[in-house]
Amino acid sequence: MNALKVSKIPSVFTSLLYICGFFIFLEWLYPIKQITETNEMGLFIVFAGFCFLISLLEVRWWLSFILKGAGILFIIHVLFYEQSLLDIAWVHDFVIDILYNWQALTNQEWYELTAIFRSLLFLILIWLMSYLIHYWFVTVKRIFLFILLTFVYLSVLDTFTVYDATRSIIRVFILSFLSLGLTNFFNEVEREVVPFKWTKRMSRWLIPILSIVLLSSVVGYAAPKFSPQWPDPVPFIQHATGTGGSGKTIQKVGYGEDDSHLGGSFVQDNARVFTAIAPSENYWRIETKDVYTGKGWEAEPDETKETYMLDSLNNIPINTFSDDVETQKLQARIEMDAATYLPKLVYPYGIREVLAERGFDIELNMHSDELRTMYSGKDTSLADYNIIYDDPSFDIDELKNDGDDPVEISSRYTQVPDDLPERVDQLAEDITEPYDNRYDKAKAIEQHFGQSGEFTYETEDIPVPKGDEDYVDQFLFDSKKGYCDNYSTSMVIMLRTQGIPARWAKGFTSGNRVVNEDNDRISPDGSDVYEVTNANAHSWVEVYFPDTGWVPFEPTQGFSNLADFHTEVAGSDEDDALDANEAEGPETETEDDPEVEEDDPEIGGPEYEEDDEDKDDVASGFTLKKWHIGVGGGLFGLLLVFAFVRRYRIQAYLLAKKMEREGDAASLQSAYHFLLKILTKKGNGKDPQQTLREYAKEIDVLYSGSSMSLLTAGYEQILYNNNKEVLNNTELPELWKDLVNQVIG
Amino acid sequence: MKSVVLYHEKVKKVIDNINEVMIGKEEVAVLSLAALLARGHILLEDVPGVGKTMLVRTLAKSLDCDFKRIQFTPDLLPSDVTGVSIYNPKTLEFEFRGGPILGNIVLADEINRTSPKTQSSLLEGMEEKSVTVDGNTIQLSQPFFVMATQNPIEYEGTYPLPEAQLDRFILKLNMGYPSMADELEMLERMSRNHPIETISPVMTKEELVSIQEEVKDVYVDQNVQQYIVNLVKATRENENIFLGVSPRGSIALMSVAKALAFIYGRDYVIPDDVKFMSPYVLSHRIILNSRAQYEGKTSEDIVRSIVEQTFVPIRKEFS
Repeated sequence: MNALKVSKIPSVFTSLLYICGFFIFLEWLYPIKQITETNEMGLFIVFAGFCFLISLLEVRWWLSFILKGAGILFIIHVLFYEQSLLDIAWVHDFVIDILYNWQALTNQEWYELTAIFRSLLFLILIWLMSYLIHYWFVTVKRIFLFILLTFVYLSVLDTFTVYDATRSIIRVFILSFLSLGLTNFFNEVEREVVPFKWTKRMSRWLIPILSIVLLSSVVGYAAPKFSPQWPDPVPFIQHATGTGGSGKTIQKVGYGEDDSHLGGSFVQDNARVFTAIAPSENYWRIETKDVYTGKGWEAEPDETKETYMLDSLNNIPINTFSDDVETQKLQARIEMDAATYLPKLVYPYGIREVLAERGFDIELNMHSDELRTMYSGKDTSLADYNIIYDDPSFDIDELKNDGDDPVEISSRYTQVPDDLPERVDQLAEDITEPYDNRYDKAKAIEQHFGQSGEFTYETEDIPVPKGDEDYVDQFLFDSKKGYCDNYSTSMVIMLRTQGIPARWAKGFTSGNRVVNEDNDRISPDGSDVYEVTNANAHSWVEVYFPDTGWVPFEPTQGFSNLADFHTEVAGSDEDDALDANEAEGPETETEDDPEVEEDDPEIGGPEYEEDDEDKDDVASGFTLKKWHIGVGGGLFGLLLVFAFVRRYRIQAYLLAKKMEREGDAASLQSAYHFLLKILTKKGNGKDPQQTLREYAKEIDVLYSGSSMSLLTAGYEQILYNNNKEVLNNTELPELWKDLVNQVIG
Repeated sequence: MKSVVLYHEKVKKVIDNINEVMIGKEEVAVLSLAALLARGHILLEDVPGVGKTMLVRTLAKSLDCDFKRIQFTPDLLPSDVTGVSIYNPKTLEFEFRGGPILGNIVLADEINRTSPKTQSSLLEGMEEKSVTVDGNTIQLSQPFFVMATQNPIEYEGTYPLPEAQLDRFILKLNMGYPSMADELEMLERMSRNHPIETISPVMTKEELVSIQEEVKDVYVDQNVQQYIVNLVKATRENENIFLGVSPRGSIALMSVAKALAFIYGRDYVIPDDVKFMSPYVLSHRIILNSRAQYEGKTSEDIVRSIVEQTFVPIRKEFS
């Protein structure tokens, strides 16, 4: 039997390899949905599968062309046209669209390209990839570069974008390890032309490969790993390139959901989120968080949620303060900006009722006080709504009365991380020691930031805690600069170390009052119109008082407490009066100080960021920058890999240039020795005891030529004869180049 | 050492002539020629009948030189080598009758068969390029080339050359048996005329002397000199060697390397020349210690292993 025939790899195995290639390629597609605005990724994946299947079946090229082309048209139709597939009209539209885009392309108006055309190009790209991967995996079986690029791609995305490639890397690891094992084995079999009974000996080669892949994957997954030595390279890159501060990243200011990693700088964003028509200034609350991790806030895992029909709800069960607190029934109106996607209610303290469009449901998270707005089971922004609320005014005397905390409050809201540095506790102790009641203690900590004079309000160059650094500790003792998150988190934690239940509230400040006299939206009952922007996103502190409930505190410098406080007996206590004054005169500080911006930088959940990107220049400008760094980093990495792979060619090029330029004995010598070096790397090194001629003969036999002997004869003239005339011989550099090319291959 | 090698045109014909007569002995021809061009002498050590004499005769005939042969026997006297003054009754004077040493190319056959006294008369001539007979110093003719032979088999009744005298020979060669093909071809040629009858001189004595002068001018770079010194030094430090190579050996090695470079048409020496010559130049200049001898090692083996362990210079500092 013909040996060649026997060693041909059965197509079932090459198919296996190709399928691995397909899944690795899918890892390139998955992140696209998250990092771009591409929807309907599923269709693209289906198309990729279709293309790969056709390549796998190795149908004739014209049939494959027709099938894949039809697939593209079908997908385009599904995505963009509503007419029947058989209706000729959409084809007409499609052709016109292509022509339009072609014009835009030739005019280099990149932003004019339509979604249809971009999708078309993307589909063609997938088509090409299906061909290329078939070529790499099945035809030549050289896949290392593709796999390396996959890893580079995923790690760049993981580092620089919101995409989390943790699982992806594991999948790619297993698939690529398997494919590399298979290709290596297949190549070996093909090269050696060994007769091999594939099916009979399957266990002999497939089982070792599988078990090694499995074993190393399990070991790799289970083995203890170092935490990243360089958790976030972005600040360093930004610092090095001068595009940013030393913070985690320049974030976009605005409300976001993820507070698990606080810190970092951000850029201002004055895009309007909503307009509020309210009789007084107050905090626009969204939610609270109570689990501090040392890096940021996380929601309590065992959330209890209740869903209500909005229109049937006339008493929203959020009771942040007790019935003893003096209140005033007020009404406010919220009008969401069209561009805003915020499927949560923003509400003032004392919310009782929400008046809005029918059909909406509200999901109340009992722990975080978050009110999620839903429409037919999906998170949906509520465009406008009225809120009836009991505006509280807290009695300072009442607050000074001590009492016992309920157990569930004191156990839940005095949590601090086990590894919280001792000095935080110590500092809180020092600050609160002179006071005997909870209100004064809280007030002392609230005022400590301003009174100590050590802290400054900054939004840039704010560090991110790394390694085992603590966010609060870093702010209190190292950086001493920051914005609302730093101040509010620090106050909560300092209170908690003293056993005072406190939690972290977030939402928006009252916003900027629209002062236009003609504003027809100024409501007749004297309400003011406030514009609340992304820059008004804020976080503050809520402290629990046994008789009163949760009372907001405002530690952030330059901000004042928007809640009302009063004392029963005015002037009986100077401090109290002062406190009350401060508390009641908020406008001056907040709005007169142009330096101070209200803000709450977040790594927003992707849905927010995507939404905002379209609308606001600052945000998209920032995203662009981040992308630049990502792409730049990726390209730089690729460049390094390229330079490494091509290092001998690069060196050869430089040496050739040097020979041309200088043409002296030294340059010929270094060129000749470079040749010896690469020959050594190829496993044909020269023994030190060998003479150059003996070696050159060997090499010439190896490469079946005479270039090495000729070149060596030339070099000998330099080396043993001091004959510089040989340098005029233009053949030598040519011989050298030929040889280098031959050796590098 | 096969025909691909390009020889200097002046020596090529000589080598061709030797090839005519001696089949498959090109290497020996080149080595002999190198010794001749380096103004040295050769000690040929081999069994009888492998063509030692024929080689010398061919060389002599090709160079149009005066060929003399001395067959050494135990009773040979120094005067049989150098010559003797004989009283001439006619002129009433002693007349000097030159011995065989006055030839240009001298074959000293079985040199170890004669007494040391006679041996030294030859060796003195080789070293001094002159002989003194009856108080008269007679300059030997130029070129002067001695090819001495030794039979390694029969040691009985021989006077082995002392080490100090071996040093006088620039090379020590072995002829070796021809290969089967070469021997067959030899028989073929011998069946007709002896080839030595057919060859004619291709070079005059004067030309030879001028070539010898040219060889002196062959360039030896410092790093090649260093290589020679390293090789020689290694023989002095080798654990198998009781007595290493003398500085005379270094000079000899450089001279023959120059000659070899000239033969190959180069005006500079490369390490290959040195490497090729080393076993022939160095092995008769060392004395192995008893352990190495007991282990059955030969001088050639030791020298070759030294050559295989010495690094070749392949880099140079350019100012």
